Amino acid sequence: MTAASLLARGLRRLGTHALTWGLTLSGLLLFTFLLSRLSPIDSALQWVGDHASASSYAQARLALGLDRPLPLQFAHYLGQLLHGDLGMSRSTSQPVLDDLKRVFPATLELATVAIVVGSAFGLSLALLSARYPGGAIDTLARVFALFAYSLPVFWLGLLALLLFYARLHWAGGPGRLDDVYLYTLPQGSGFLLYDAWRSGDRTLLANVLSHLCLPALVLALHACANIARLMRAGLLAEMRKDYILASRARGAGPWRVLLAHALPNAGALLLTVLALSYAGLLEGAVLTETVFAWPGVGRYLTTALFAADTAAILGATLLIGLCFILLNALADVLIHFFDPRSV
Amino acid sequence: MNRIRPLVLAGLLTSLPAWALTPAHTLVIAQSLDDATSFDPAEGFELSTVQAFNSLYQRLVQSDPAHPAVLKPVLAASWHAGADGHSLEFTLRPGARFASGNALRPEDVIFSLSRVIRLNKDPAFILGQLGWTRDNVGRFLTRTGPAKVKVAWTADVGPAFVLSLLSAPASSIVDARTASAHEIDGDQGNAWLKTHSAGSGPYAIRSYQPHQALVLSGNPLSPAGAPRLDTVLIKNVPDPAARRLLIEQGDADIARNLGPDQIAALQGKPGVTPLAVPSASIHYLAFNIESSNPVLKNPALWEAARWLIDYDNVATTLLKGQFAPHQAFLPLGFPGALKERPYHFDPERARAILARAGLKEVNIRLDVNNQPPYLDVAQALQASFAKGGIRLNVVPAVGSQVGSLFSSRNYEAIWTSWGPDYFDPHTNASAFALNRNDGEKTLAWRTGWQIPALNAKTLAALKQTDPARRARAYESIEREVQRNSPFVVAFQSRNLIALRSSLKGYVQGITPDMVFYDKVSK
Repeated sequence: MTAASLLARGLRRLGTHALTWGLTLSGLLLFTFLLSRLSPIDSALQWVGDHASASSYAQARLALGLDRPLPLQFAHYLGQLLHGDLGMSRSTSQPVLDDLKRVFPATLELATVAIVVGSAFGLSLALLSARYPGGAIDTLARVFALFAYSLPVFWLGLLALLLFYARLHWAGGPGRLDDVYLYTLPQGSGFLLYDAWRSGDRTLLANVLSHLCLPALVLALHACANIARLMRAGLLAEMRKDYILASRARGAGPWRVLLAHALPNAGALLLTVLALSYAGLLEGAVLTETVFAWPGVGRYLTTALFAADTAAILGATLLIGLCFILLNALADVLIHFFDPRSV
Repeated sequence: MNRIRPLVLAGLLTSLPAWALTPAHTLVIAQSLDDATSFDPAEGFELSTVQAFNSLYQRLVQSDPAHPAVLKPVLAASWHAGADGHSLEFTLRPGARFASGNALRPEDVIFSLSRVIRLNKDPAFILGQLGWTRDNVGRFLTRTGPAKVKVAWTADVGPAFVLSLLSAPASSIVDARTASAHEIDGDQGNAWLKTHSAGSGPYAIRSYQPHQALVLSGNPLSPAGAPRLDTVLIKNVPDPAARRLLIEQGDADIARNLGPDQIAALQGKPGVTPLAVPSASIHYLAFNIESSNPVLKNPALWEAARWLIDYDNVATTLLKGQFAPHQAFLPLGFPGALKERPYHFDPERARAILARAGLKEVNIRLDVNNQPPYLDVAQALQASFAKGGIRLNVVPAVGSQVGSLFSSRNYEAIWTSWGPDYFDPHTNASAFALNRNDGEKTLAWRTGWQIPALNAKTLAALKQTDPARRARAYESIEREVQRNSPFVVAFQSRNLIALRSSLKGYVQGITPDMVFYDKVSK
């Protein structure tokens, strides 16, 4: 195959993907828009309040564009979006874009730490299970995964706070930092781990970690259980295939068979599971963020939903949609890279 | 300095034990800030923002928190009523300054009161009751001397009522020069004041991060005097159980909006003082006469419902002191509040009333906010009404949705609450006992209750100038609503909060704005 035809093929693939992503995002926006418009919550009433006169109410409807037909309202929103304007949030009185820039780093930091810890433990458990299937370790790992997967995350969060923060004083309490640091530090990137590390202040870094560890571990536990369950099944399926038998016949040891043969072949599954788990975490773990007073996307979206704040709801949904699409695209590319057979 | 401060603070932190108390000069408050949308007094009408106004701004006159019916001069030194009965002239407090250093002028008063009407936001209706509109408000506010301002009105109300309105948070006096300097497109500084302050209160906003934290700095120039603690940090902790842990650990000095469970858990804990502060919030049941369910317009149903609430059980067992039984629309603490409680839980009597009226197999849909304590009480009502033969179909939803159903009269029955907007009996009387069908969606309108005679009584009480007679007039109106109306007022709530025991000087009054941090020390 010539370089030109390879390039053409690559571009065609990219074009198809871009089209799919664009359609997915538009569909997501349309669906969210319709849901927020068709809900029985009256956004104009939310804006002007219960005491407003009929004329103020009518003015608010006009200002919000609620008097126009739904397709026009949606087209107007899309038009603004193309100019990079996500609108103003009524519940925070700030541009939605600024709000998202403030809340997303909090969620991204939490989700990234959780997925790193969760996947490390999850994959280790899955490997142990696949190495000794049906044995005591496998049973323990499966019971643990089932248990961790089914525990309600908010309850676990509260228990963790009660034990590690209130009783043992090992971890920081709700919030991202202790009060002495928070709101007195100059604004940084929003990623506190990075900001604290860059400041060179070790006590500050320790404080950030002490607040991050509980919510991250609670979320990691959930991700770990998910990854362990799915990867165990994937690895065991690989272990039953002929090439494993062949490699054993050639004298490869059990760990070598597992790590050098079965695991790379289950790589596609691993990447898919990781991408989905990470995207799920980036969506904002609403309950965890509530319990730990973590100012992230999940809480932002929930508060906006309660206040019928359409611009904020659409902005946050768009961001979450983008995360999903980007992670899926990344997983696609990586899978293709590791396993060129998949098209 | 910015580089040094974290190091100093870090040093301070490492010298404290792991379960450190809050910084010595900072008051740390854990509460929900999710409702806050605007700290502009002409706009903010949510619990969190209203609670901040007394720290940020002052009014001409304000209620004494210990005796709310008594108005004391604050930014006004004195006032007198005009001979026409439709005006008041105020002499401003000499030497009063805003946090910016600007001196208080009559122009600031005129700017502040007129912008409430001109911006026409949520609280505009309060001053709108004086007959002020966008076009005419300028004529009613005049400078009569270097430190004198005249406030006039056309509405048929007495000076005492006008003073009550001027003591409402919406009547806070804003520094006109600072606000105007931040004006965008003729908004009179509204966009800027949503997240900043320009007042003369004991504190000023240092920084506000929406849904995260509000930080206030002491204002040494305040006519109220410099506050004892120079920083107040109000942080958003949305979960009440987490707020309880923070106060228990000493990581917060005050925890607000706790539930009965948190208060029960904090009882007897060393270093923490749980409190139930009386609040002016009234919880009631409303029936929609206009709905398609014919039983709801039947006064026999209204009466039976009054005997089907297990008042004492809900207040003491279910909500452990968060509610007190109360059966009149004016909360205790307001002038004219009716203490009588003629109803108790008596399902037999309710059954007899329904049978006499020929009402059988009554089914009613009850819309309710899905948050505590609303849903808990609605479930208790479902059980107690069933004993009287009424089936309540409880439908929980988010608060904004329930509010929309209520104000569009698209419901059968609703269990909800009402809080006064300013300290005068008319605030509640105009909600429960006034329905002029003039486009104003009063609570009486929302139930479809037609009451021409009661309207007249409510408006007459508003004009009454003698305080004792006025109180009696409201008692009589309350009695009518209590005995025969589509409203069943059942409880007055209490604010459940917890303080660190070392805290001194914290004052909280009956209405949401009566929160004072300036005398707090620890």
